Amino acid sequence: MKKRKHDGIRGFLPVRAAKSWLAGDAFVKLTPLLWGVGYIRRRQFVKGFLAILFEVVVVMFSISYGFPNIAKFGTLGTVRRETVYNPATMKNEVNQYDNSFLILLFGLVGLIVLAVAVIILMRIVAEARELQQKSEQGAHISTFREDIRELLNQKFHITLLSLPSLGIIVFTIIPLIFMILVAFTNYDQQHMAPTELFTWVGLDNFKRLFNNSLSETFGYSFGKVLGWTLVWAFFATFTCYFGGIALSLMINNKRTRVKKLWRTLFVICIAVPQFVSLLLVRNFFADTGIVNTFCSNVGITDFLKSIGLVGAYLDHIPFLTEAGWAKFMIILINFWIGVPYLMLIATGVLMNIPTEYYESAKIDGANALQTFNRITMPFMLSVTGPYLITSFIANINNFNVIYLLTQDVYFTMDTKLAASNAKDIDLLVTWLYRLTNDYYNYKMASVIGILVFIVCAVFTLLAFNYTFRKGREGRFQ
Amino acid sequence: MKKNPAPVDPALIVKKRHVNPRLLTGDIVRHLVLALLAAIWLVPIVWLICTSFSAYEGRNILRFFPENWTLSNYARLFSDTDSVSNFPAWFTNTFIVACFTCVISTLFVLMVAYAMSCMRFRGRRALMNTGVLLGLFPGFLTMICIYYILKELKLTDTHAGLILVYAGSSGLGYLIAKGFFDTISRSMIDAAKLDGASEAEVFWKVILPLSKPIIVYTVISAFLMPWMDFIFSNIIIKSRLSGDWTVAVGLYNMLHKSSVNTYFSRFCAGGVLVSIPISVLFVIMQKFYVESVTGGSVKG
Repeated sequence: MKKRKHDGIRGFLPVRAAKSWLAGDAFVKLTPLLWGVGYIRRRQFVKGFLAILFEVVVVMFSISYGFPNIAKFGTLGTVRRETVYNPATMKNEVNQYDNSFLILLFGLVGLIVLAVAVIILMRIVAEARELQQKSEQGAHISTFREDIRELLNQKFHITLLSLPSLGIIVFTIIPLIFMILVAFTNYDQQHMAPTELFTWVGLDNFKRLFNNSLSETFGYSFGKVLGWTLVWAFFATFTCYFGGIALSLMINNKRTRVKKLWRTLFVICIAVPQFVSLLLVRNFFADTGIVNTFCSNVGITDFLKSIGLVGAYLDHIPFLTEAGWAKFMIILINFWIGVPYLMLIATGVLMNIPTEYYESAKIDGANALQTFNRITMPFMLSVTGPYLITSFIANINNFNVIYLLTQDVYFTMDTKLAASNAKDIDLLVTWLYRLTNDYYNYKMASVIGILVFIVCAVFTLLAFNYTFRKGREGRFQ
Repeated sequence: MKKNPAPVDPALIVKKRHVNPRLLTGDIVRHLVLALLAAIWLVPIVWLICTSFSAYEGRNILRFFPENWTLSNYARLFSDTDSVSNFPAWFTNTFIVACFTCVISTLFVLMVAYAMSCMRFRGRRALMNTGVLLGLFPGFLTMICIYYILKELKLTDTHAGLILVYAGSSGLGYLIAKGFFDTISRSMIDAAKLDGASEAEVFWKVILPLSKPIIVYTVISAFLMPWMDFIFSNIIIKSRLSGDWTVAVGLYNMLHKSSVNTYFSRFCAGGVLVSIPISVLFVIMQKFYVESVTGGSVKG
């Protein structure tokens, strides 16, 4: 395919646009005022019309939403909502108040729209200049139909990516930037829009995380919750990983009968949606649940009491209601959910280990343990290494297991944790979720969200750095 | 893609009759352990199914198997609709949301995957890195903001709101499909292009017909998302009317302290009913799940 002509003058866009504008003719000079004029002059009418339409939309949005909100962005609004009695209409009326939430949101959107519009305008100017040069040289100027065809061919990626990217920008990127900004404001239950205003507070919320006083326990809670999050992620990842490998080795042993049946039995457990199975298990292990009845009938409860694992004052095993027990049970129940997944994955990997490795090991007289240590495990690690990393990250963010098992069931005894709405068994994400959904403490939730990101990013970087530095992935290829 | 397991060594079959006693004990122990593990793993599932047929409405804490068996829990799930239980409406709501989500996110995922896998353009790496970076934030951090945006647009408690939430940024989940497209031989694409096919034609007529497994995987996983998800629907649906809920929200609310003792058996019946179609789809998808996770690194 022929390379596009302006590939040669590719450069930093603002510089290119400025140069084009300076060198261009009257129509190029006019383009920043009326965006489509450069196209229309070169008989690209549809493109010119679309550019003007886009300009009108941007200007109208900026005038009605963008600029008014960007102007108040520095303060996030100053006029509180008040209801005033209006003698003229004899009714209570709401004044012209500022809604900090909408100011922050539309201010942000307004800034993004402006930035995008400026980038597009610079491209339009550069393109208008190219068109001018082309027409002066008498070169062919593409028709609208040719432009469309290009969008289905060389520029097909633009066609493919535009809608999904728009979705990601609207539903992930803008909300994400918004929440990051909220971490620097005092947006919480005392400052709920629209009735109250909130405003910028700089790094105050981050400082609270290192505060640990009687009234301020966020520092204390953050330390505890982060510690348990990491312990949990470690155990949840590795118990399931090795459990799954052990199970799949047993099932895939050459001499095991009805492999498919075994596999299906375990897969059934994960085919039930988690909110069903976890809510069920929570009732299974409830303080007055069936397992407790069984344990006290058989005498397990008394035995555990006698060795001190269950408090003497209790008549049941506090499976999900006491910190130590709950943590143990959560990891155990996660093992129940996670092992079948890993069994499936490990089965897939095991089937792909070249049989020649095993044959030559046999000839060399290696025993089962040596074969496992030298062939199976290294192969497994090299293939599932990236999966281990993503699974560790996923466990840091594993909301379902903890929330569905313990919400409305577990109540913390630790007053310092309770003061900042945390619980012993909370992960950072479940804490974040409850802070927002139950306590409307958006500012601290945003701070925690940013810290979760930092924790995940650090682990990802460490892990990938380790895998690539050692060049481990090439070993079996 | 996958290698068949090595054919059974004929020598082994002949030898079977005079099996080494050590191997035999190993076999017996292994099968016993497997049976024990399977039994443990299935206990909660069996309890779910049994309780769904129990004549006792609440949690029976004394007996594992119900005293009296009945089908009334299933019947009442469909006939009795009240402020707590409205299973037909939940099922319809979730089904509608699932269908739309499925179509939109399958399209998005395949489109992004093709662009990232088969095309080379400026900014491709940067876009992929951005995707990885976005994935490191907890998914529902953004939900607070999205909830208020949807509220401004009067879309909370509606199907459209849920569909937007599920499908909106689904393009980020393209990696598995990309891994699959990466394994399709480049020479086929080049040959098609030599014959004068455009990129769009390569996408529709070469890549998609070759990608049936990954399309099935994407369709099923997108369809399952609204059925399996609890957290997003719980944020977006704040309505107190039971007819507005999805299956997940509804079943969760059934187990609220005030209602658990009247609705527990019906919760189990509902759980079984939801699990059946999901299990079937899940078993179909399972095979692709393995291939997706082990990804391009395993090529048989």
